[in-house]
Amino acid sequence: MTTRRLSLRVGQYLLVLLLAVGLNFALPRAMPGGPLATLGGEDVGLLGAEEREQLLAEYDLDRPLPEQFGRYLAGVATGDLGTSFVDRRPVSERLLARLPWTLLLVGSSLVLTTVVGVAVGAWAAGRRERRRDTGTIIGVLAIDAAPPFWIGMLLIAGFGVQLGWLPTFGAVTPGGPGGLGDVLAHLVLPVTTLTLAGFAQTALVTRSSMLSVLGSEPLFVARAKGVPRRRLLGRHALRTAALPVHTLVLMEMGWLIGGAVVVETVFSYPGVGRLLFEAVLARDFPVMQGAFLLLTVTVIAANLLADLTYPLLDPRVRHPVEVTQ
Amino acid sequence: MRARRSRSNLPLLLVAIALAAACSSVADDPAGGADAPEGSDTEVGQRNAEEADAQEGGAATDAASPVALTIAIGGDEGSLTPYTYRTGYPGWNLLGLVWDTLLVLDASNEPQPLLAADWSVDDAGTTWTLTLREGVTWHDGEPFTADDVAFTFDYVTRFTQSRWTNAVAGVVDVTVVDDLAVTVELDAPDPEFAVRPLADMPMLPEHIWSSIDEPEAATSDHAVGTGPYRLTEYEQDQRYRLDANADYFAGPPRVEVLNIAVFADPSTAFAALRSGELDMSAIQLEPQLVEQFEAADDLAVARGSGFASTLLQINTERLVLDRTEVRQAIGLAIDPSELLEVVLLGTGTAPNPGFVHPDSPLADTSLTHTFDPGAANDLLDDIGAAPGVDGVRALDGEPLSFELLVYADNPPRIRAAELLQELLAEVGIEVLISPQEAATVDDQVWPGFDVSQGRDFDLSMWGWSAPVMLDAGRIAALGHSDPAIGSLNIGGLDDAAVDAAADAVQAAEDAEQRQAAAQELQAALADARPFVTLYYADEIFGYRPASYDGWVFQDGQGILSKLSFVDVV
Repeated sequence: MTTRRLSLRVGQYLLVLLLAVGLNFALPRAMPGGPLATLGGEDVGLLGAEEREQLLAEYDLDRPLPEQFGRYLAGVATGDLGTSFVDRRPVSERLLARLPWTLLLVGSSLVLTTVVGVAVGAWAAGRRERRRDTGTIIGVLAIDAAPPFWIGMLLIAGFGVQLGWLPTFGAVTPGGPGGLGDVLAHLVLPVTTLTLAGFAQTALVTRSSMLSVLGSEPLFVARAKGVPRRRLLGRHALRTAALPVHTLVLMEMGWLIGGAVVVETVFSYPGVGRLLFEAVLARDFPVMQGAFLLLTVTVIAANLLADLTYPLLDPRVRHPVEVTQ
Repeated sequence: MRARRSRSNLPLLLVAIALAAACSSVADDPAGGADAPEGSDTEVGQRNAEEADAQEGGAATDAASPVALTIAIGGDEGSLTPYTYRTGYPGWNLLGLVWDTLLVLDASNEPQPLLAADWSVDDAGTTWTLTLREGVTWHDGEPFTADDVAFTFDYVTRFTQSRWTNAVAGVVDVTVVDDLAVTVELDAPDPEFAVRPLADMPMLPEHIWSSIDEPEAATSDHAVGTGPYRLTEYEQDQRYRLDANADYFAGPPRVEVLNIAVFADPSTAFAALRSGELDMSAIQLEPQLVEQFEAADDLAVARGSGFASTLLQINTERLVLDRTEVRQAIGLAIDPSELLEVVLLGTGTAPNPGFVHPDSPLADTSLTHTFDPGAANDLLDDIGAAPGVDGVRALDGEPLSFELLVYADNPPRIRAAELLQELLAEVGIEVLISPQEAATVDDQVWPGFDVSQGRDFDLSMWGWSAPVMLDAGRIAALGHSDPAIGSLNIGGLDDAAVDAAADAVQAAEDAEQRQAAAQELQAALADARPFVTLYYADEIFGYRPASYDGWVFQDGQGILSKLSFVDVV
């Protein structure tokens, strides 16, 4: 990729980011309801008109929207995401406290969805050769169609309540000794949920990509040469078929982050997703903006990464002229 | 080959198992939601209905004084100070573990001495003399004195975003007589003063809080009370750790450590209670789980009547619904006993059409709901609302077809809405159920939480929390047409009889007059029908008796309070 193309691509992403920043400001305010219930506390219904106005003024919510937007933009530009309506703590501080948990959850799930997805996809493609992968496909599609919260509830009912093997909530045992083992034990069910809910895309793309490679001429030749089946599938086909999977895996980030909102809520896991969920319910605009921004940046960065690393894997993109037929 | 084939069906098998197991419950907190004012004082209490059978001797000893309990709550409660907790329940109740009030309500909600060992009122009813308990210290070791009391009264007056600011509005003067004596001067007699603020308002330590100018930003470092527990750890949205205050004036609490776990999803909390990870859930148990919990050997429920109401709120300004006869017909067409059976599985109380729970001292118990679809039909026929071809009646060309708003995260209310739809269809009224996110519903029913801003809905499932049930002034607020008095009149009712009765409540000079006026008001509300009272759900909490069995049920409040851990009354 030339420097010019690279800067063009990065420019495109910056534009998307700018749009996202604008939407992050607009969407919370376009929602019905407002932060008054959060600001006014439990007796909000008994507030007088003056107290109401005073309350909104304290948080600059009485200012015209363009002015609020200007302040927000200036803040984002200088790295200041504002303070939460809920506890008046800086938004960045609240986000940073949650980020490690979400990174742990989404990171583990990303690795697992990829490994499981590629394995199931390759295996199904291998069976397709023998025309027996219908059951697998139906099963994969069924799991894919199941909503993550429901998978989570089933895992809690099965492994938490019935079998009693695994903790069902939180990131560590309250009042427990803590430690790595405790953290990992609490990670199992949420990660399994996200993986089950997310591996199907990877599996299906791997399968179809594998099938098209398996039907190609080089593979036909390899087979004719007598390359053993396992080697044929694993080395020749899977390597070539991995290209679209690579793109998908990085795009999957966005999906997993969306899934994390649900899974963190079901498992009461203290990540960014749950923070976002609570912020939406409270109409905590600054936290909503901050969390959305963080998620947007992550997804855009993942896409950019996919764009930039693709040529490293595929020589045809690196040297586009040579592959013209 | 054989093995392979069966393995290829493994995902299918998993799905089948999953489907079979899907019957496990998922639902929500029935009395919660953004119902507005939550919390506080109640009447008539009863001990919890626990079967105090610890299976073996060893377990019984352990259960008597466990080292640590893990308790679920349904949302974060901030840094647990009087200005940063979030909800009336369970936030205020948790406050009571760390902080003390001057008086405390016992299990039957009668005021008893706490930080004030003794109190008296003069004959005029305006001068309250409080004698403080000796030797009480704050968690940091500083002594608690009369200066702290005077400071607290002053603080809640200056920083108005507190639940007690209104309650101390009538205080003219607070005088420190000596270290252990205070007199409080009121501008008029206030029979409620002992309950609120005295048994409701936590005392603040002057030596810490005098330097706090932004109380909404107070942190857990500022959560220094005199209560039976010290707040030692707080992780937002995750957990609190409360350690027993060994120096508590009433003796050390029976449980050394309380781990409070914050849940985002109630069904996860109930699962964790069953799995043994939790010892008690302060999140209300759903009716359909009660039987299961009662049947299980290792689980029990504590249960009492709840003063939170569930209503069908009517917009009395809407065309057609502005006719009293139509609203009365809606009331006649509704069968609350069916709702009680189907939605609450019997775990609730039948309604007083005048809003007030029959167990509330304010209730006019002679008022009962009348279910009579025949009379409803007659009423609608009489005003000329004839059924059209589709069976839906129309009045002056306007079909009796209404949208019913309901919180999407509240399955019991959605179920109730479905039953209402069927019942009203019987009399030719069409109901279209519209489940929406809570704040979105609030925004249409009660825009800006200010009734003078109008409203945009037909019908809505609604509810008010317990305090409204016990305060005649707030019952007046439910129906008065002047927004200054009728701050809770979300249906926009404008009815002369209701206004007159509400005015009488406001003007009442003593408790007796107020009581009579409140009963008058209930009859007027039942007649004007700005809403149909549907039921009052019981308060039900699940716990593990082998872990701890000393729970005390305070009516309208539940079992999460200092009454369950120390002998203060």
